[in-house]
Amino acid sequence: MFNVFARIAFQVGEVTPPEVPSGTDLVLPEINELIAGIIAFAIVFLVVWFKGRGWISRTLAARQDAIIGQVKAAETTKLEAESLLADYKQQIARARDDANRIVEDARRTAETHRSETTARADTEAAEIVRKAREEAAGEKQRAAGAIRDEVATLSLAVAAKAVAGAVDAKAHKKLVEQYIAELGALHP
Amino acid sequence: MPTDDRIDGYAAAILEVAKAEGQLERVGDELFRIARAFESSTPLREALTDPRIPAERKKGVIDDLLGAKTSPLTVNLVDFVVSAGRASDLPAIADRVTARAASARRKAIAEVRTAVELDAATIERLTAALGKATGKDVEVKTVVDPTVIGGVVARVGDVVIDGTVSHRLQQLRETLNKR
Repeated sequence: MFNVFARIAFQVGEVTPPEVPSGTDLVLPEINELIAGIIAFAIVFLVVWFKGRGWISRTLAARQDAIIGQVKAAETTKLEAESLLADYKQQIARARDDANRIVEDARRTAETHRSETTARADTEAAEIVRKAREEAAGEKQRAAGAIRDEVATLSLAVAAKAVAGAVDAKAHKKLVEQYIAELGALHP
Repeated sequence: MPTDDRIDGYAAAILEVAKAEGQLERVGDELFRIARAFESSTPLREALTDPRIPAERKKGVIDDLLGAKTSPLTVNLVDFVVSAGRASDLPAIADRVTARAASARRKAIAEVRTAVELDAATIERLTAALGKATGKDVEVKTVVDPTVIGGVVARVGDVVIDGTVSHRLQQLRETLNKR
């Protein structure tokens, strides 16, 4: 404190100015200044220590609590995030399972449908072939029948003409006599 | 009037006239032959049934066809039916007259078709044979029909006894068709 006053007195010219410093003196403080600074610091420190310690402690405690709360909140958030992640992973896994199941179902359905369609097509094809064969056989039979009818008709037309030409009066009489004889064999 | 009643009416009228004239059998026989000719001849049928041909011309056709070989009474009766516009009913009327006349004599009509005309002796034996075969007292009406080729077909009511060559050929055809 004394040094401080001395210095102030020096500055106002009451004390003879010291020698002009040089070298390291330009950087290093004066001993007096150093001591005064230490004392001032100690005073400030003590004032702060006794007067501000409670406030600082409370502030630090509050700050610590806030940080702990934030850490806890962060941990909670992290846990929630992990839980959500697990849920998402579970959902994704479920979705993948569902997707696989759907794909498998679709594949199975498609396979069943394909089998049924193939079976139906085979059955229909077999039925068409069977009907075609039946129709062909029927047509063949009808054609054969028609040819047979035609041949029979032509043959009988020829025979009728031949018979008509061959039946003379004598043959007519013989046929009538034969008819009368056959009538005799009939009974009412 | 229903067709059947109309035919009955005409047949009854013709029967009464023929009976009154004492020509029932002849008229019945001639009408029967005319009806068969009407059935088998398309030009005759068309000439007598065509409404565009005048009645006088139809009468001329009848006189030309029947005048020489048929009794005047039968010709007049046919004229009567044709003039009344009932030519298409002529076969049915003739059949009804024949049937009624035969029925009056307690006989059944046997329509006999042959390819050639039969002599009286053959008709007599045929009548006896048909009577025995059908159990009825029959009166034979013969029709010459070249389509039978040979042999005889007789129809007594609903019974048909077919011994014609054409029938045998038809049976042969059916047999061939079955194979």
